[in-house]
Amino acid sequence: MKIRKADIILAVVIAIIGIIASVYLTLHDTDVRNGQVVVYVDSELYGKYPIDEDQEIEVKQGDHINKITIKDGNAQMTFANCHNQDCVKQGKINDMSKSIICLPHKVVVEIQSDDRKYDAVSG
Amino acid sequence: MNKNSISYKIGQAAVMTALALIVSYIEAILPFSVGIPGVKLGLANIVVVVALYRLGIKYAFTINIIRIFLAGFLFSGVFGILYSLAGGLLSFVVMIAVKQCRVFSIVGVSLAGGVAHNLGQLLTAAALVENIKVFVYFPVLVFSGLIFGILIGIVAGLVTDRLEKAGV
Repeated sequence: MKIRKADIILAVVIAIIGIIASVYLTLHDTDVRNGQVVVYVDSELYGKYPIDEDQEIEVKQGDHINKITIKDGNAQMTFANCHNQDCVKQGKINDMSKSIICLPHKVVVEIQSDDRKYDAVSG
Repeated sequence: MNKNSISYKIGQAAVMTALALIVSYIEAILPFSVGIPGVKLGLANIVVVVALYRLGIKYAFTINIIRIFLAGFLFSGVFGILYSLAGGLLSFVVMIAVKQCRVFSIVGVSLAGGVAHNLGQLLTAAALVENIKVFVYFPVLVFSGLIFGILIGIVAGLVTDRLEKAGV
């Protein structure tokens, strides 16, 4: 048995593909599986909602109304009757590094992940 | 004894099938786990690669399929068979293609097979879980397929050489 040049080239090419893939995945590895949209009002936990279930959450505190929409794995503040509308302008969030904050109403929307980031896949 | 006779080949294929099954069993009970699904030694591929070189495509294919079904029913269940089949078939096709190139040695054939095996399993996982995100495992599986494929190829090469020398 002799290892040939072509074997080494093939191994190197595959290794390079693997390295490129890992670099790519590391750079794009912020999105969340099994994530939950967590809403805080005035630093108190208001509710947790699965990010993969499309729904609309209404947060009412007296005259203060915020509406959070979860759709296609994104959370977004779709309506707020606050004066600056910063939270609405923030748009969609879908990873753990971001949050939506409505300062006037003290509403914070965060995304949290379950302790294990990836599901097990049977081999 | 004529080494090209059908009965001689069938006899060898039978022994190799039994061997592949035993090796699958050993792998099933080995407490080897790196915590990443799909990372396997692929010991049974030693037998398949040796069969590919000694007996040809038809026999190697049959040995592989029989082994997958037997080992699947015995050790892992229907889903295990599905994963093994996807990995086994893709890896086999790739190994034949690489072998036909004639510029690669048995190690090149085996490492290509190892990587293809893992990709096949990954594709099955993506189809069954219906979630493209299982591809986060892609790099790990590429490297494990590569490394174990090389090791398996070296062993298969040694075995093939020895069998040749022993005149079996």
